[in-house]
Amino acid sequence: MAPNLRLNAVAFVSPQNHPILIRTFVKQDEFAIKYHYIAHTSLDVIEERVSSSGKSAECYLGLLYALEDVAVYGYITPLKVKIVLAFAMADTVIKDVEVNMIFKAMHMAYYSAIANPFLKLDVPVDAAQDHSPYLQVGSAKWKHFRRRIDEISRVTTRVVGHSSLP
Amino acid sequence: MNSYPPELLVQLAPVMFVAGLDVAPTGKPQDAFAVLYQRLREALLAQWKPTIWQPERSKTFQVVIVDKDVRFPPRKLVPPDDPQYPSSHSPLSPLTPSSPLHPDGLIAPIWIRKHTNLVPSVLVLFLRMYETPLHNPRSPLDVPDTDRDREREQEERKRDSELAAEVALRKKSTNERGIKLTVVLIASRKMLDDLTLDSRLTFIRRQSGLDSRAALFVLSPVSPSELVEFVSSLQQALYEPAIDYYTAHSKRVRRKRNRHSQAPAPYSIPTSSTNIARPLRPEGWTVRYEYKMGCFAEFRGENEVALKHYQDAYEMLVIMFGSTVILPPRTKRWAEAKVLSDCINIKIGKLYLYNNEHSLALSHHSTHMRKFGDFSRGWGIGEDTFEFWSWMARQHRVFAELLEQGTNTTLVIPEHRPTALMNNATSIAASTYRGGAGSTLEIETLRSLGLNPSHTLQHPGFYYYMAAQCTEMRREKYLVAVDAELNQQIVTSPSFTNEKKVQHNAIILELYTKSYELFKKYSSTSENSTQSRLTLWIAYRIAQTYYDSGEFGMAVRFFERIAKTYRREKWDIMLCPLLSTWYTCAKELGDVELGVKLLIEMLAQDTCESDELDPSDLEKDLVALLKRPLSPSSERTLVVDLSESQPLFDACTVFWNAEVQIGEQATFQISLTAPKTVTISSIPFSSLVIHLSGAENPITVRHIDATNSSSKSSASIRMVDLGDVTHYKENPIEVETELRWKPGNVLVFCGRLKSDAPATINVTKLELAITQDVWKVQIPCEPCTSRRGSRPVPRWLCFLDQPHFVPIDREEFSSITFKHRSPDIGVTFRHNSPAYLNEEYPIDISVINDDDRRLNVVVDVLLLPSEEDDAISTIMMNEQRSSSLIKGIPFGVLHPAASATKTLYLTSSGSPANRVLDISVRSWMVTGDGENPEVDHNAALDYDNAFETLETLVVPTVDAFKTSHNVVYRRCSHEWVGLADLRTFDADFWDDRGGEAVIDFRIESAGPWTVKVESIVLERENGPSCKVIDSSLDCDEDAFPSEFVPGDEYGDVCRIGIAISEGEAEQGLVPGPGKYVIQWRRIMPDDEKGTLSTSIYYLPPLHPPSDGLIALLKLPPVATLHVPIPMVLLIRNLHKHRSANITVHLETDGQDAFIVAGLRNGRIPILLPGSEEKIVWQLVPVECGYVKVPRIRVVDRRRTLPQTSGGEAQGEGELVRVVDVRWRIIPGQRYSICFFILSTEAE
Repeated sequence: MAPNLRLNAVAFVSPQNHPILIRTFVKQDEFAIKYHYIAHTSLDVIEERVSSSGKSAECYLGLLYALEDVAVYGYITPLKVKIVLAFAMADTVIKDVEVNMIFKAMHMAYYSAIANPFLKLDVPVDAAQDHSPYLQVGSAKWKHFRRRIDEISRVTTRVVGHSSLP
Repeated sequence: MNSYPPELLVQLAPVMFVAGLDVAPTGKPQDAFAVLYQRLREALLAQWKPTIWQPERSKTFQVVIVDKDVRFPPRKLVPPDDPQYPSSHSPLSPLTPSSPLHPDGLIAPIWIRKHTNLVPSVLVLFLRMYETPLHNPRSPLDVPDTDRDREREQEERKRDSELAAEVALRKKSTNERGIKLTVVLIASRKMLDDLTLDSRLTFIRRQSGLDSRAALFVLSPVSPSELVEFVSSLQQALYEPAIDYYTAHSKRVRRKRNRHSQAPAPYSIPTSSTNIARPLRPEGWTVRYEYKMGCFAEFRGENEVALKHYQDAYEMLVIMFGSTVILPPRTKRWAEAKVLSDCINIKIGKLYLYNNEHSLALSHHSTHMRKFGDFSRGWGIGEDTFEFWSWMARQHRVFAELLEQGTNTTLVIPEHRPTALMNNATSIAASTYRGGAGSTLEIETLRSLGLNPSHTLQHPGFYYYMAAQCTEMRREKYLVAVDAELNQQIVTSPSFTNEKKVQHNAIILELYTKSYELFKKYSSTSENSTQSRLTLWIAYRIAQTYYDSGEFGMAVRFFERIAKTYRREKWDIMLCPLLSTWYTCAKELGDVELGVKLLIEMLAQDTCESDELDPSDLEKDLVALLKRPLSPSSERTLVVDLSESQPLFDACTVFWNAEVQIGEQATFQISLTAPKTVTISSIPFSSLVIHLSGAENPITVRHIDATNSSSKSSASIRMVDLGDVTHYKENPIEVETELRWKPGNVLVFCGRLKSDAPATINVTKLELAITQDVWKVQIPCEPCTSRRGSRPVPRWLCFLDQPHFVPIDREEFSSITFKHRSPDIGVTFRHNSPAYLNEEYPIDISVINDDDRRLNVVVDVLLLPSEEDDAISTIMMNEQRSSSLIKGIPFGVLHPAASATKTLYLTSSGSPANRVLDISVRSWMVTGDGENPEVDHNAALDYDNAFETLETLVVPTVDAFKTSHNVVYRRCSHEWVGLADLRTFDADFWDDRGGEAVIDFRIESAGPWTVKVESIVLERENGPSCKVIDSSLDCDEDAFPSEFVPGDEYGDVCRIGIAISEGEAEQGLVPGPGKYVIQWRRIMPDDEKGTLSTSIYYLPPLHPPSDGLIALLKLPPVATLHVPIPMVLLIRNLHKHRSANITVHLETDGQDAFIVAGLRNGRIPILLPGSEEKIVWQLVPVECGYVKVPRIRVVDRRRTLPQTSGGEAQGEGELVRVVDVRWRIIPGQRYSICFFILSTEAE
């Protein structure tokens, strides 16, 4: 039985809405840009959700929209880094708990990646407020972050697929 | 939706035919009845507009205005009297050979049309009642004209009969079809009051055979509002018959269906090559009947029933499609059935949505698309045909249109927010899910778990978008087909010729535009006015479509807008394809300037690394463009502003030092790093212009072709020396070098700079220029910018062995500050620490100019607040006094090696502690020569350029004197003034009954310095409760002035008389009635006397003993053997208001050393408050040595009086203390009263 939750892509977007990392897990590379568009457009919905829910907002924002063959889910960390997941559309219920779990794992991956002190090695001293080192975390130079995300994706597809078996 | 027959989609409502409202087409002013007819027509027609979305179920009819003698279509082809009638069928039945459905059609739109336009459920006939015209006014006096009345009655009867006959005829035809007939008689208002009306109406109804209920109305010309009321009541009355009518139809159809389904499968004709008509299969009949029943239920407004029937019809249709035997593909019937299934799908979706079952609606729709998509593959119109995508697009579009219609009125698109996770999910789900029937438990639990994204309804913009995407696919497949045709392949699709006429791009644009508008509408809730990203994304698709359809101008306009946001948010990957399409547009439009701009921007976007693109392509294009002889609109310089997008070069301006002194040289480096992934080496940069702040004149670096230094230019890092650019303000500087970069190469320009005035200098702007033939392109560039969007890392290029960069670890690295050399100033303080309290403590501040320039010096002194609250200190300098800050004490202009000294006085009071002073010495150069009287004015102006020398001075402060004291209280021993003594009323009478205190006050010179005490004065502050009686100071007046070296003490004894306070609480402290004022000077080490200071020490507060009853025993301290001595006991009642009952007992003993004469046991008279009693004994000592006096017990029995009054037993009262007044009594210590008896005889 095919897993019902297939992660197509994940996107990390900085608080200034600059892309940090957009990682796709589908084979066709020519569609990679599609997930950039998806990540970018989903910022609209994220902003709307965040502004309307006020301060009591949870990190998990739920389904942002479903378009073409993907369902897009959103998450915003307390420091306003946005994480967007794109799942392949399947005619099944996607459990919020599971999606939230994946988001948490992604968040942790990001968190541990930016904790890397070497990120700030080449940054001017006064850049405490500067987010640019965190943008660097997505660059190909720092492999660990990508590796960890890939692993989450792999585990997700497998575990969730199994757990949904009757 | 226009692609489907509207009959199959429209919402059905009961049909009402209205006849008899024909208005004579006259332009003249019409009579009241014509107006009434006109209004009635309007009001009735306004009841129902045939629309697709109409969920309200108010009792409204679809009204059709017909002729009076309207004829209904025949039920069957043969007349009812024909013997074949029972076996014949409706003209629309597939069984009727002349029917369009013969032999195997399902349902034709004409069937719906029949029921909406040709056959009503209710026929309303408007008829005018006959009214006899009034021929002359009748007077009450007239005799009733019986002839005329009879004539009139006859006429009316005749006319009414005619009317009734007409109605009866109509009634006959409607009864045949089960249609309700209602007659509305129009009469004048006067007629309504006529007494004969009722009888006439009864007559007409009976004659015509109308029903008794809701069949006859009378209406007279009324106002429009009343007319509306009439129309609604008419509908109310007729709604039930209409429902009955459709119910009857449903029953009939159900009977037929049941009969049909029970009948055995009639025949199975083997598929033969001959195209003979095959009759409709049983499945088809089921579809037909279910669909009809669905329609009738819809007419009745029973949406749930209709939904059920439609679903059954749909299911059956799906079964039919599943077999190519039942429905051979690509036939007429197949196409009809496909249209029917699409329409039923929409109807089902709509009915779900009426009920707010959004996900069911969407899931049905998507299931429909999936199922028929699967079928399509079997039919040979799979995903690779344009037919498939056309159909898909149509489905998406129809659904979007349905949603759009719905949202215009009642439909609300649900919000898909996650409910609060994990905890309490079901209850929240119940509250957030607002669906009607959806709030069943099952859905709730599903909702709480999560949702199915493919079943979440979104706003119609999404479905328009999908339709547009499908249409794009359709176009793509169509183009493939066109290619195939060009390659002489046969395109098999029958609709290919039709497809050729389709304007694909126009459709795509239309769909995208609709989607765009809807996205805009739905995102308008967020307050930010900027275009949202979703709409930008659609706008990008629109632009692409414009591009595909060759409308490059339109595309460019879109691209401009979209690129702004993408640039700002640095989504470069998305920007790349946009830029390249944009560039193609520019090429197509022949807009060379835009092309150049875009090429430069694309060069800057080095993330556009696509495989098919050669890194030098862009460069080649640019060089080619620049070589075009086309003059770019006159001589204007083309400025390519890359400030919003990525810069072409990584630029970094670094100064080696953050600040240097005036006259020293500052070195700087400007590095330009070329992109690594694209080549720009052949771009003909002609110059680089460096703008330094503060001057118009730039530094220009011109390009020269490298001649001999080819090896140099190939180095990855090159250094160009700009030389000394100190005089950039006066004259422009030009340098020549080769301005060409290989990928990743760095060109570093270094220069040196001096300034003779304080200033901050940075590089304001870099400008690269490309000049080729007529082209002048300018590329401004920030002096510090990085391609990655982060701040550039400051690095300094060093050439030691090989070029390498040293990181500059400094916050502000891109500017240099020139400052004056800080003046060399010495600040010294001279003072004799520690300072005494209350002393004006002099601190000499000396400022010495050690510099070789003349300096103007100003001093600020800040006294830091002390930690203790009561320590109030002041500083004084130059007549300025302050408790915190003295600002701007001028020390004047100091010549080199000159010094100035000023004295600061610090006066501290409060407690001894360290006083902290911040002394800031500010100095700046004096430029003019000689003494300038305006220096002080300039001083204020030139504060900003001053150099500040900060000094902190800590002054320990101690008390000059240490004081200590000892207080002894003495009771008044002499007899009191009597209670009524007149002397006590004198103004100067001092009541000395409180006794007195003796204070021994010692003043010790405590500090390390000798002080000269000028005087010590006890300032009396006699109060009502105590006063200074005398002081030893009074008789020691010539003791001062005298010098006190540290450790010297001076003591004063003073007596304080204490009065018995009348009103105050007795336990209270009595404040000391005076203070010692010591005036003193400090004697400096050089014997210089300081200023006169005053210290004040207060007498301590007094604690006079307070007791109610007291007995004082007076005895001489020494007695002589055998010489009698008196022993006096004074019993005083000091209590405020209580009298005392005192008994005195003298307890003699055999071993006593005395012989006592006097009272042994006795009660003294009641002692009033404030009075005393005196008892005297005579004692004759009989022993020598220290002896004890007999024990005296004084008991106050007042308290115990009630108990002892009865019995003679000695009740124990309160013992009164007996005090020996000779000795000081320290509380808490026991004393025995003893005597020392001297034996004079023995001596």
